Amino acid sequence: MPQYEKILLKNMEQPGYSGSLQDYERTGGYQALRKVLKGISPADVTDIVKNSGLRGRGGAGFPTGVKWSFVPKDHPGPKYLCCNADESEPGTFKDRQLMERDPHQLLEGMVLTCYAIGAQTGYIYIRGEFRLGATILERAIEEAKQAGYIGQNVLGSGLTANIYVHAGAGAYICGEETALLESLEGKRGMPRFKPPFPATHGLYQQPTVVNNVETLANIPHIVTRGAEWFASIGAPPRSTGTRIFCLSGHVKWPGNYEVPMGITFRELIFENGGGMRSDSKKLKGIIPGGASAAFFTEEHLDVKLDFESVAQAGSMLGSGGVTVMEEGTSMVWAAMRLMEFFYHESCGKCTPCREGSSWLLQTLQRIWARRGRAEDLDMLLDLCKNIEGRTICAFGDAEVAPVVSTLRYWRNEYEELIREAEVTRPAKGEIPVFTH
Amino acid sequence: MANQESDKFVTITVDGITARVPPGTLVIEAARQIGVMIPHFCYHPKLAPDANCRMCLVEIEKIPKLQTSCSTPVAEGMVVKSSVPNVEEARKSVLEFILANHPLDCPVCDQGGRCDLQDFSHEYTPTTGRFKELKRIFPKEYFSPLIETQMNRCIQCLRCVRYCDQVMDVQALAPSGRGTMTEIKHFSIHELDCEFCGGCVQICPVGAITSRLSMYDFRPWMLKRADTICTYCGDGCQITIQTKDNELIEVNSTHGAGRNNGDLCPRGYFGYHASVHADRLNHPLIRQQDGTYAEVTWEDALELIAERFSQIKLAHGADAFGGLITSRCTNEELYLFQKFMRVVLGTNRIDSSARYGHINGIQALRRVQGTHRWTVTYEDIVAADTLLLVGTNITETNPITGLKVKEAVKKQGAALITIESLLPIRGTISNITTLASHHVPVHPDYFGLAVLGLIKSVLEQGLATASLSERAPTFVQSIRSAVGKVPWETVERHLGLGRDTFVEAARTFSQAKRVIILAGQGVLRAPQGSDVVTNLLDLLILTGHHGRPGCGLGTLAEENNDQGAVEMGAVAEYLPGPSELGDQTARKNLSKIWGDEIPQSPGATLMDMLEEARTGRLKAMFIVGENPVATLPPQAKVEESLDGLEFLVCQELFLTETAKRAHVVLPACSYAEKDGTFTNTEGCVQSVRRAMEPIGESRPDWEVFSALSLLMGNPIEYGEAKEIFKEIRSAISGYGLLGPSATPPRIKDEVVDRYLQEGFKTDVEVRYAFEQENTQPDEMLTLASVQSLFHSGKFSTRAKGLLQIQASGFLNVNPVDATRLGLADGDPVRLSNTRGEATTKVKLLDRVPVGVAFFPEHFDQNIRGLFSLETDPQTRVPYFKLTRVRVDRMQEEIPGKG
Repeated sequence: MPQYEKILLKNMEQPGYSGSLQDYERTGGYQALRKVLKGISPADVTDIVKNSGLRGRGGAGFPTGVKWSFVPKDHPGPKYLCCNADESEPGTFKDRQLMERDPHQLLEGMVLTCYAIGAQTGYIYIRGEFRLGATILERAIEEAKQAGYIGQNVLGSGLTANIYVHAGAGAYICGEETALLESLEGKRGMPRFKPPFPATHGLYQQPTVVNNVETLANIPHIVTRGAEWFASIGAPPRSTGTRIFCLSGHVKWPGNYEVPMGITFRELIFENGGGMRSDSKKLKGIIPGGASAAFFTEEHLDVKLDFESVAQAGSMLGSGGVTVMEEGTSMVWAAMRLMEFFYHESCGKCTPCREGSSWLLQTLQRIWARRGRAEDLDMLLDLCKNIEGRTICAFGDAEVAPVVSTLRYWRNEYEELIREAEVTRPAKGEIPVFTH
Repeated sequence: MANQESDKFVTITVDGITARVPPGTLVIEAARQIGVMIPHFCYHPKLAPDANCRMCLVEIEKIPKLQTSCSTPVAEGMVVKSSVPNVEEARKSVLEFILANHPLDCPVCDQGGRCDLQDFSHEYTPTTGRFKELKRIFPKEYFSPLIETQMNRCIQCLRCVRYCDQVMDVQALAPSGRGTMTEIKHFSIHELDCEFCGGCVQICPVGAITSRLSMYDFRPWMLKRADTICTYCGDGCQITIQTKDNELIEVNSTHGAGRNNGDLCPRGYFGYHASVHADRLNHPLIRQQDGTYAEVTWEDALELIAERFSQIKLAHGADAFGGLITSRCTNEELYLFQKFMRVVLGTNRIDSSARYGHINGIQALRRVQGTHRWTVTYEDIVAADTLLLVGTNITETNPITGLKVKEAVKKQGAALITIESLLPIRGTISNITTLASHHVPVHPDYFGLAVLGLIKSVLEQGLATASLSERAPTFVQSIRSAVGKVPWETVERHLGLGRDTFVEAARTFSQAKRVIILAGQGVLRAPQGSDVVTNLLDLLILTGHHGRPGCGLGTLAEENNDQGAVEMGAVAEYLPGPSELGDQTARKNLSKIWGDEIPQSPGATLMDMLEEARTGRLKAMFIVGENPVATLPPQAKVEESLDGLEFLVCQELFLTETAKRAHVVLPACSYAEKDGTFTNTEGCVQSVRRAMEPIGESRPDWEVFSALSLLMGNPIEYGEAKEIFKEIRSAISGYGLLGPSATPPRIKDEVVDRYLQEGFKTDVEVRYAFEQENTQPDEMLTLASVQSLFHSGKFSTRAKGLLQIQASGFLNVNPVDATRLGLADGDPVRLSNTRGEATTKVKLLDRVPVGVAFFPEHFDQNIRGLFSLETDPQTRVPYFKLTRVRVDRMQEEIPGKG
């Protein structure tokens, strides 16, 4: 197994590391905050992050420093930082580990971000099911408050940075940043149309930055070790730093792997993950970046795990959830299973996604139940075309990705099921037709 | 200037047509102005964009993805295409998605024929569907007695939910469930309990929410429409009455039309059956010796009246007559009634229901600023930056004016100061005080004291405008010294709130740019009503707002034509105009128009007429649409007065308590059966149009006056209501324009000057004096007879729709009082005071202040005897809405009310 320098998982992989404030401080924790408060201006912090090339780890990959710089400097009212900890993308489980095992790394990142954007309040919107993570974070916030890292007058600098944990109630859509804000405001979690963007009209219509847990966890390291250091890792200039890939599916060693961006799928799956679960079976398909990302095949094994390469190959790096499927897996079944998820989670706001998800799912279920028709496949593609790009948030694009990509690479499997349906379907004339 | 103006516009091209529109305009609106209709479901001009239906997608040059035109503001040089292939394809696909789960039960859908989904499907989709799966089906659920939901038809555009929240401020509805299983529900396990404004029904683009009152009764294209004006309050909302074969089917309203801009309240939307109730009088009636009524012909009835009137006039003179008319009548009828009384009978002894309070406001306005109307409009309310509401309970009394206030606060961010007998607690209906930036909760008898507190605070903080001290030093001094005589301790003892309460409110009020004061029934129908309005005008003058554009005071009329009644001269003290009885120029002008002399004798108000009837001086009364027996409390002895008359004629829709004492009862038409005009609370004159043929033999009131005049040998004849309006136009200013916009008068500077120099002196001490009362004993509650949102007068208690929402009166008390008095919801209670006792049931209501109880005036038959009655020494307004009562839980159930 190849060794890369870890940044985010480094502390927690040390034997005996408990994630307590004491442990975190011992590994150099909160030094970045001290350094900044000694005389680096908020604008400079933003510049450091900008120059590091850090891009959002939640899914969209928007440059973090640029996002921060959209926040108006002279806003008279409050500004907010929201940490998106609603990690719900199927196949993704990195944020949970970051929060449960090294909460202060995230908290330090948040205080630094609050400082950079001028927010006095940060909310951690944590997935409702992450009870343990929420408890750990709350305990960590209390510790940090006692130590003066969080709260009024941080480390005597006059900086105010209050951080609160808010648990969601179980909707996948609340991971979408504007739905997250709605939910945080106590409303039904449904995305807002954009513009305006959260940077100017976010939580309670105030300027707000929403960043993913992994993104924020990187901040202390970038501040401590410098933009150039970070920018030299991975696949510069567009994909810098490491990524925690959540490897799952039919592999030997599923788990979180922090690797520099730019290694290939083959390296991740076969060198880090130990290869296929069963040596006799070949790899058939890969979901490269969470359930919302289009499928890859074994032909894509040499695609590099960076934003550009994956996008060029027709999918997205997304949330970093890499799910591997072996030979023998029915891709129709896989697509149907994913569609069940999207059908269940569509919030219902936009017509194409709301109605389309149930239509797609019913059609897939029918095909799987050997009741498909030859015209179904083109209709599926047409429906997908009518959903994609026509909704407020990216959910619409996400729900069609598995269908479109499985149809692209494994259309024959669909056709096979439809052929089976034709065999069992009564021939014309066998069903009595009522006539006057 | 011209250049600056054009800088304020941006150029946009839609489908090849270029136009200049104000920045911030949404693309969909810009397109509409250009003449391009972009189909949409979720968008509505009243609501903040939500962009959820995706129907209005358009192509905008330089933007790769299609954009929703409802949420995209225009930008300079923007080029929009709404009928290119990819837009049309997107539209088709959205419709295909919506129709996938839609039940297509158009044949049994009340929206069929006026359904956006039908229309757009017809225009944009192919006739075959590709959806071959199972349609989503929601089980049928009972929603409410008046509103039906059929969620399978719902397209989840959330217009209803957003309207309920953003416009009504009620939040009774919410989407429930997720994805394709999203349905509209209400918050509770009970049936829907809300304002029942019907807004959700009206704003639903499909048939998902419909009215149960007219369910399955019609197809839209069978309906005959007539735009007219609602009679349930002074707001003057335009409604469209729809009939089928002379049967009232439904009432609705149109966005963009009328002073209400398409909004209605429960009375307007669900209350329309009152006028077609089975009890309507169909024939003229003459009372027989044995007290029963015989149905007679119009000829017989009118001849009898003419004969008796002539005899009485001959025997006792013209001033033996008294006339009383309801201000629910049209201007034409009010005008003709007073003309009949003055010219044919020859007396000024005439009054209308404007006497019950509206006259208080008008007299104050005339005195201080020389106008009898508001100097501001609804548009000014919306544009105001600060509003002061005093004793309005605006949601329940004038709901649509209330919407203007809500819009000012919620959309424009205006500051709102409320002096109301309400606690700022949310309930099933909206509560204006929850939107207030400064709220002063008071008992209903202390509105005047709270206004005094506000003025006191303005003066103490030096917030009075400096120039006034030069212009009218004595005025400022006198008020300062008068309010100085009421120490803060007194204010605090009675209001429970002291100096601190008023500091911020006074500051906000003084520093505002556009200020509107609205005074409601709590002020106008309570002792010193006119004085409190005068003091509020003083407040405007003191703070320098008086006379500034967009600033002014409005009094809220309870009845639809209270304002018109006064302007038509259907009150004791005014000739049409209104002009003082003694105004020689006005008399000369009128006699020229009428070709007849105007009587010299003084007028008599309602209470004076009743008194004179009791003493035998008044011999005959002509009462049109008024029901003083059921309105005034028993100690007014109305029955005794009426029974003493030699001859009583009532012209009515129903055989009311008053009509039952008449010698002749004439069947009148309701507003739905006649033409004419109403003047609303803000002074806007609007057309009333006949929506259906008169019921039975009923006739419009004005026809009766005209016919009687003919029989009495002094004909005042008109062919139709329009001819009367023509005469009104020449006799009264402010009636030149009929239309959708109000044209408010300007204040008369010379009147203001006169008031500031001398006029105020006559009563400034009295107006600002406060008689200390002993604080009420603990077991006593202040009982106020109030208006309910769901009823108007006694008329609405015949509307079957409204009765389904509220069918009886309850004593509303605060839970704190209930606990103190050992009462639970629904408990039978005995109310008692020195005047008597009555029984009713208790209903707890959080927004009622502690120490106060509300009872809806519409159901007050049993409790009316408890109220005190006093008559205003100046304006002769009878006050009978307040009293104090002991409330005791009854051990036994109230018989017949279980």
